[in-house]
Amino acid sequence: MTKKGIKHLAGKVGGIKNLLIILLATLWGLTLLADIFVVEKIFDPLGYLYIALGIVALRYVVWPLYTGRRLVQYYWQRVKRNRLAVLGLAFILFLILLAVFGPLFTPDPTAANFEQKNLPPVGFTTEESIYNPQTGQFITKTISGTWEHPLGTDNKGRDLLAMIISGAGVSLQVGLLATGIAVALGTLIGVVSAYLGGKVDNILMRFTDIMMTFPFFLLLVFIVFIFGPNLAFIVLVIGLTGWTGTARLIRSETLSLRTREFILAAKALGASDGRIILAHLVPNVVSLIVVIATLSIPGVIMAEAALSFIGLGDPAVTSWGMVLRAGQQSLDTTWWVAVAPGIMLFFTVLAFNFVGDGLRDAFDPRSSV
Amino acid sequence: MGKTWLRDYIIKRLFYAVIIAWGILTVTFILVRIGPTSPADKYLTNLAARGEEPAQVIAAIEARYGLDKPIHEQYINYIGNLMRGDWGWSFSTSMPVIELIKTHWIYSFQLILLSTILAALAGILIGIYSAVRQYSKTDYIATFFSFIGISIPNFWLGVMLILLFAVQLGLFKTYYDTGIPLLSLANLKQLILPVITLSTGMMAGYTRYTRSAMLDNLRKEFVRTARAKGLPERVVIGKHVFRNAILPLVTIIMFDLGSIVFGGAYLTEIIFGIPGLGRISFNAIFADDYAVVVAVTLISAFLILLINLTTDIAYAYLDPRIRYD
Amino acid sequence: MEGAILKIRNLRTYFFTRRGIVKAVDGVSFDLVKGECLCLVGESGCGKTVTALSILGLIDTPPGRIVAGEIFYDGMDLAKCSAEQLRHVRGKEIAMIFQDAQSALNPVFTIGDQIVEQIKLHLKVSYREARDKVINLLKEVGIPSPEEVANYYPHQLSGGMKQRAMIAMSLSCDPQLLIADEPTTAVDVTIKAQIIDIFHQLKETRKMSLLFITHELGIVSEIGDRIVVMYAGRVAETAAVSELLNNPKHPYSTGLIKCLPDITQERERLESIPGTVPSLIDLPSGCLFHPRCDKAIAICRKKQPLPVSVNHGHTVFCHLY
Repeated sequence: MTKKGIKHLAGKVGGIKNLLIILLATLWGLTLLADIFVVEKIFDPLGYLYIALGIVALRYVVWPLYTGRRLVQYYWQRVKRNRLAVLGLAFILFLILLAVFGPLFTPDPTAANFEQKNLPPVGFTTEESIYNPQTGQFITKTISGTWEHPLGTDNKGRDLLAMIISGAGVSLQVGLLATGIAVALGTLIGVVSAYLGGKVDNILMRFTDIMMTFPFFLLLVFIVFIFGPNLAFIVLVIGLTGWTGTARLIRSETLSLRTREFILAAKALGASDGRIILAHLVPNVVSLIVVIATLSIPGVIMAEAALSFIGLGDPAVTSWGMVLRAGQQSLDTTWWVAVAPGIMLFFTVLAFNFVGDGLRDAFDPRSSV
Repeated sequence: MGKTWLRDYIIKRLFYAVIIAWGILTVTFILVRIGPTSPADKYLTNLAARGEEPAQVIAAIEARYGLDKPIHEQYINYIGNLMRGDWGWSFSTSMPVIELIKTHWIYSFQLILLSTILAALAGILIGIYSAVRQYSKTDYIATFFSFIGISIPNFWLGVMLILLFAVQLGLFKTYYDTGIPLLSLANLKQLILPVITLSTGMMAGYTRYTRSAMLDNLRKEFVRTARAKGLPERVVIGKHVFRNAILPLVTIIMFDLGSIVFGGAYLTEIIFGIPGLGRISFNAIFADDYAVVVAVTLISAFLILLINLTTDIAYAYLDPRIRYD
Repeated sequence: MEGAILKIRNLRTYFFTRRGIVKAVDGVSFDLVKGECLCLVGESGCGKTVTALSILGLIDTPPGRIVAGEIFYDGMDLAKCSAEQLRHVRGKEIAMIFQDAQSALNPVFTIGDQIVEQIKLHLKVSYREARDKVINLLKEVGIPSPEEVANYYPHQLSGGMKQRAMIAMSLSCDPQLLIADEPTTAVDVTIKAQIIDIFHQLKETRKMSLLFITHELGIVSEIGDRIVVMYAGRVAETAAVSELLNNPKHPYSTGLIKCLPDITQERERLESIPGTVPSLIDLPSGCLFHPRCDKAIAICRKKQPLPVSVNHGHTVFCHLY
């Protein structure tokens, strides 16, 4: 292809960046099709989601962050002043480290070890009644926790710490991917709807209303029931059902931005539509997108946890919801198995809520941070 | 200034609601049909498991579900059946789905009703107090707790409550006893833990929203006018400010209903063993009893539609500014 | 002063903020004679609104507070009254109307209901009687079809109508003193004229005392009897309106009058007072106006000027006299 030809094509799609992205996306699509119809597994289904999200993130997150370094620094300064947000970020960082490096130090979470079942966490002791068939008596034996299994084990001898670490990885991945899909989809629909207006807006909003009327969790359960529990699929479904709130918010923000005076001023100065969208509208929506995304992550994580908890999660994956379920079933013997995942979930949700609130305050020009 | 605005508005909203209802039915239908296994297959697997003769049953199913007919006829049958009250047959419980729903809806209803009332009353009152006494100790405590309330996974809360009060302290039973008559104190007692579980998240949300809506309005000019008129402070807050704060509150509460309440109720019923619609739908999932799952999903969606409709109309009544469009 | 129904002595209202103490009103004194229209004049931020709000105790108390001074009305010192006592004065003895009628009226209640509420609060009348009074009040301020308008919501009225409705509401309990905070600022010129007419009418028919806050000297000359010029929280000059406009003594007053565009004269540029109003947290020493004053002398930087009577009823706070 000649240089001129490339430039011409780039012009049509709105720039070299967009051309590159479209190229990457087509490559991704072809690989996916090949995987399904022609060859054996090229990538894990979850892998495809990651790559797709990666491409979108590259274009809309990484590149803008790089070119807008100074702006990013400015906002970061504002966020830093919010102590709760910083705490939240620290916790999230801790989770990431836990998820990435934890498995190196802990046993396999699925390894059942009946010798070591029902061990309490370090520092706790439980009593177990053992029936001695010879004497016909019950002897109470005290069992204490050991450092070998710092958080104890469940009734099948699986190490709780390992399970929690595995769950951290699952929750983070689901949070990232599913939120990515939901927010991307919601933003797309919202912006298109607001920008094109008219009939398109009408139809898209009616559709959004319909999807919004289904209670989120029940719809999730319904779809997983029909199609079966598989982690990649669950991530996809959460993303495909959780976009409605984002769509509405982005649409209303875009609509209100369109009529604001600074847009009129830009028009009066002679800016073209494209430039108005890219240089004026999008940057104002981006901060909203970031806040929405951060505040959606907890909901997504909870949704996956709830699904696993009721038994509709991916059985091959150890997630916090699954651990909680195991704990609930043996509440009288191994209560720590029920407590641990909930605490983790709680702090994770809290952390993302703090960060989201901090981001929202940092982006709001009217709040003095 | 049209005097028929209310009637016109209601008609417009009803018409719109019908479209949404149609959309709900269609989406559900599509989802079921594009699933990997058809309801018939699942039905069959179940019958085979119970040792019934497949060949005759297949014929019966095909006739019943009209699966031999083209898809658009199936669709029309589907809608027709639903409207006529034929919601299918639940073979896991051996009764028509309608019957199943009739006997179990009351349990969900009592749970959701009690939780919503508690959450709304407590949440709104605390929110108002928090806003009026901003920065006081009570405000900080209330804000703190509401943050915790929305972050706690409500299913975990339920399990913890059971752990603490039922298992360790033995104050409650660990499961719901349907033998107890509904309108009795004993029933109320066994509903305490479930209601706390469900209402905590809601209450936290209501507190936050009320507080923020009140704060927004407390800064407005008309509050100063009200005080300049000589009105006592409690009238200024309770009547002038609150009446304005209610508007965004109503919208937010309605929005939350779909995501939090129904999902939460579903989980709460499962944890505490309350035989409401959520639980029977859940049981149906593991029994592959399609009809029940579809029915409960549809019901919940329609209920939300109804609630949205009512809220829209109430909102038009409450906010005079949008009436005269 | 003779026949004064409102006497303000050394009022100081400060706002205690994180960044410092804002001395919004710092030693303001004046009298308002019964039946007269006293205009409180100055640039935005000079403390005129805060003065008015202090009279009725409407200052937001977490940051703000009346720290010193007396506000005498009808034998009581309003600055020292309890909230309960103040409530009996508000709306009944002293009424106040605000600048922006749209935001000052509650959007979810009808005009009629909002006025009836005030009437029933202070007067012992039946609902029917209150309603009738509302209709008469709306008629008095020149609102057409008052029976219908009483059932309207604020957003259904035009700007001028809203302003009139607010005036009607303030008159509902026949107050002795009406405080009007820039009632003509947020409206356009034609409505301005109408509103001024209403005030003229009120002065004549009701013999009301009026504390009129504005920054427009044109309005002052139309409706004012006496004028108090404020600058950065303190009084600069007090006089009868005609006296001040013809014979201003304080350099600030002179400057203000010079700023008015004059169609009769040919000029190249509009006059303005150099510099800007000081921040109320970081005030200059001595006379607050000295940094901008072209007649400033050494003592202006050091000492606050004391009131000097230059004429009958004409007082100025300036070291030049």
